[in-house]
Amino acid sequence: MILLRLISWQYTRKHLLRSLLTIAGIVLGVAVFVGMHTANQSVLTAFTQTVDRIAGATQLQISAGEAGFEEDILERVQNVPEVRVAVPVIEAVMNPQTKSQANILILAVDMTGDRSLRDYALESGDESFIEDPLVFLAQPDSIMITREFAAENDLKSNSELTLNSMDGPKKFIVRGIMKSSGLTTAFGGNLAIMDVYAAQKIFGRGRRFDRIDVAVQEGLDPAAVQVKLEKVLGSGFQVEPPSSRAKQFESLSSVYGMLANITSLFALFIGMFLIYNSFAIAVTQRRSEIGILRALGATRRQIQVLFLAESAVGGLVGAGLGVVLGILIARGIAGSLGQFLGEVYGVAQKAEEVSSDPRLLVGAMVLGVVTSLIAAWIPARNAARVDPVQALQKGRFQLLTAGENRMRRWTAFGLLSFVGVSLAFGHGRLIFYAGYFAAIFAGVLLVPTLGLWLARGMRPALKAIWPVEGTLAADSLIQSPRRTSGAVTALALSVSLIIALGGMTQAAYASIEEWLRVALNPDMYLAPTQNFTDRSFRFPAELASEVEKLPGVRRIQAVRIVRLPMDGEPVMFVALDVSSVTQEARLPIVSGDGPTMYSDAAAGKGVIISDNFALMHNRKRGDVLTIPTPGGPLQMPVLGVVVDFSDQKGSILLDRSVYDKYFKDTSSNVIRIYLQAGVTVGQMRERIAAQAGTRFRYFVFTNEDLRSYILKITDQWFGLTYIQIAVAVLVSILGIVNTLTVSITDRRRELGVLQAVGGLRRQIRGTIWLEAVLIGAIGLILGCGFGAVALYYALETSARDLSGMRLAYGYPFRTVLALIPIILGSAFLASLAPAEAAVRGSLVEALEYE
Amino acid sequence: MIDIIGVSKRFDGKKQVTALDSVNLHIRKGEMVSLMGPSGSGKSTLLNLIGGLDRPSAGEIKLDGELLGGLTDDALTKLRRDKIGFIFQFFNLLPTLNCLENVSLPLHLRGWSTAKISERANELLNLVGLSQRLDHLPEELSGGERQRVAIARALSVYPPILLADEPTGNVDSSTGEEILGLIRDLHSRFQTTVLIVTHDKGVADSCGRRIALKDGLVVQDVTA
Repeated sequence: MILLRLISWQYTRKHLLRSLLTIAGIVLGVAVFVGMHTANQSVLTAFTQTVDRIAGATQLQISAGEAGFEEDILERVQNVPEVRVAVPVIEAVMNPQTKSQANILILAVDMTGDRSLRDYALESGDESFIEDPLVFLAQPDSIMITREFAAENDLKSNSELTLNSMDGPKKFIVRGIMKSSGLTTAFGGNLAIMDVYAAQKIFGRGRRFDRIDVAVQEGLDPAAVQVKLEKVLGSGFQVEPPSSRAKQFESLSSVYGMLANITSLFALFIGMFLIYNSFAIAVTQRRSEIGILRALGATRRQIQVLFLAESAVGGLVGAGLGVVLGILIARGIAGSLGQFLGEVYGVAQKAEEVSSDPRLLVGAMVLGVVTSLIAAWIPARNAARVDPVQALQKGRFQLLTAGENRMRRWTAFGLLSFVGVSLAFGHGRLIFYAGYFAAIFAGVLLVPTLGLWLARGMRPALKAIWPVEGTLAADSLIQSPRRTSGAVTALALSVSLIIALGGMTQAAYASIEEWLRVALNPDMYLAPTQNFTDRSFRFPAELASEVEKLPGVRRIQAVRIVRLPMDGEPVMFVALDVSSVTQEARLPIVSGDGPTMYSDAAAGKGVIISDNFALMHNRKRGDVLTIPTPGGPLQMPVLGVVVDFSDQKGSILLDRSVYDKYFKDTSSNVIRIYLQAGVTVGQMRERIAAQAGTRFRYFVFTNEDLRSYILKITDQWFGLTYIQIAVAVLVSILGIVNTLTVSITDRRRELGVLQAVGGLRRQIRGTIWLEAVLIGAIGLILGCGFGAVALYYALETSARDLSGMRLAYGYPFRTVLALIPIILGSAFLASLAPAEAAVRGSLVEALEYE
Repeated sequence: MIDIIGVSKRFDGKKQVTALDSVNLHIRKGEMVSLMGPSGSGKSTLLNLIGGLDRPSAGEIKLDGELLGGLTDDALTKLRRDKIGFIFQFFNLLPTLNCLENVSLPLHLRGWSTAKISERANELLNLVGLSQRLDHLPEELSGGERQRVAIARALSVYPPILLADEPTGNVDSSTGEEILGLIRDLHSRFQTTVLIVTHDKGVADSCGRRIALKDGLVVQDVTA
């Protein structure tokens, strides 16, 4: 401890800027980790809170995925003696087009039984219907709203509120304003209560409920009642405590969580090189100090512990700053992330407050310290091995010894051999990822050698163009690979990440555009909401029939999309008339016989699954899936596997007739319309308006609208990966600044001589600028090479464990072209401050510097 | 040639140190002058001020009638590269550059053509007797050879003033003799004004004018 104060603290104080730059990688890595996870956690917490507050005293919830079920199920549940109260519920989000333009969560219940589950404390309004729910039921235009929503939208008791329902605009009367309490704070306070039977009409549910909320008899164990209800209702229903809804949401958004982990771990990984670099340099620069300590009796262990303790303190400080920055990031992005995840997964929540999990914060601190310790381990060991006699002699110690370099090369060669073997023979997950890590490690080990060769190769050209600046810049890199290898490694890894992401983006866009072209080719779409992923509203079957009969319509497809639990995860089912689909579009087939597969599916003899579902759920053609339906478990063989990008978690295509039969649900989420030749979308829009008038709530989208919508969502997903790119580049730039800061200290005398013999300030600056650009260029070249390998692994990882989608390999040359000015420009910017520092200060001191 | 008028140099720290105290000197063109004195007497400080590596706290220095005090850093650098050659005790050669490149360095900084630089650098290395060592790195040379390279570099544009700070301080005595002989030879051949800071009385005695400093003051100024 005393050494830490006397030696380390003094050194840190003297090199404060460098110390801060060293821990910057940890700060950023931890900040991204905390920021992205806290934002995700906040969204999850908001959803959980909404579920909890809405649940009230509900102990169990009965649902059939998103499909809902018929009214008669309620009676079957109420007849179970262990059930004290069972209340039908419809829960949906809509935009009431009020002053605040905010979405509102509609909780529609049967008021007769619901008062024992939820407390509607009224602030104003007609108390009589709370005293007697029949009064509320007798007036189906009744709605209760929260005090917050009323205030924001200038609504009072008996105010009118017009909701755009599936039956057209419908007037509601505010019959009660609820006090602020647990329930009314759900969904950020934007909550309204209405009668469940009124909601059936508004949201196009027919005579169906979304779920039933249950409270069990006093003294009974809800788990036991859950088992009983599952037995009574069969496996087509899910009977679960309210909290399991949050788990489903967590499962849905797990891809985002994994992306957040990859981003932050990558930032920390790159940050690790900065710390390694700084400590390796510090050990070299502090050799005489170490020699003196050893001469005075310090043991090797004490020296090693001293350096490790320094790194632990640095890691702790960096992690602390990272946690603070991370919470600030989370505050900035939680709202938009919630909106984005809501849009992608069609789940209602409203993240307004940031909730930090103490375990996450402690975990982040530990991660920061451990990363720092790992990074400093080898330099600390080298410090402990310093020979005191040699250390006290003057000399240059920057050069990597030939033995050290040879050992790195042989180790890299061994690792690359393993990579080759793993690619040729390893199909298992363990050997694949072992190969992946071996490839990264081999690349890291080869950076000093490859960087040295590149610097030597570039020297003649640089010398020819800039005889002094170019030569000195190249020599600086050649002379001290240890000084620059960390920054070059960090940059090469960052560039390789960008290449991998660029390649994935390019492949994903190409595949999605092809899928849109081949599979989604209707001329126009009718949807009950403005958002394709929002399934709150549903079209009744009669609308599809009416549209089909309109002149100019060649074909329609009424599509019902629901998420149902499969293997414990919500999976998207797409129910539509398969024979109609095969007349218009053919999804690219991965496995299966085209004509037979489609005709069998149209006959209801099985289902067709997407390739990402097949990969992630380990299913193949011929397997039999058990689909939970309210009519009992449905055994369906997999007839084929196709390329389909409908959902990240995979999708299952089944014929509409099968769905209608087993789910007794004829509603649709979207109606696809194919027009006859010569009929325009504008003409058809007018015909639909004339036919449907205000009897239905609908929105018309063109094929281009849907394409744009899907590409917008894709953009947003890749927008998340751009955070990775930004962090990676930023950490690398910090690495360059750090390297140059060390470089100008190391070369102070050299730069002083240059000025003494006539070098102008701009020439000194030029030397530093060129050195930075050279580091950038070497990092870029190596990164482009590593990126080719990283892209292969990224595509494989995505297919195996993220999206399950097989994307074609294509090197992103355009990304490389874009990277050249970005990386070289950033490297140049990174050199500005160190270059200024190089031309300031005393020339006399520089010439005397030893 | 060199006018030093009331020059003082003070270093601020916890305690202010006066390295030079109101020094007045006039050095004529073509003179060979030694600056002697004990450690801390201010001789290296005076050399640095004359060479424009540092600025005085008070007083003025003129080179060829041009006041150094009014020049910007870059103007000072230009003056230094056109009029002054430096020879350091520890040679200050760039370790990654070979002999030819080290000598070429100031010429490149002046923007000369490659052919002209090559011709001049070869000529200078020939002059100091190192024409066989052109592509050797400094670490491959002896101390005396390194100092010869440093001298060749200092002479790159045949500057009118040569400032040498302990040029024989880091070599053995016989090599020191050779180095000094070389400087004397250059002085007589090119009529260069030479200022040598030295601890060595033998070196000092070989100069036409001997100036001694003590505690920042000129205590002796003798012309032979």
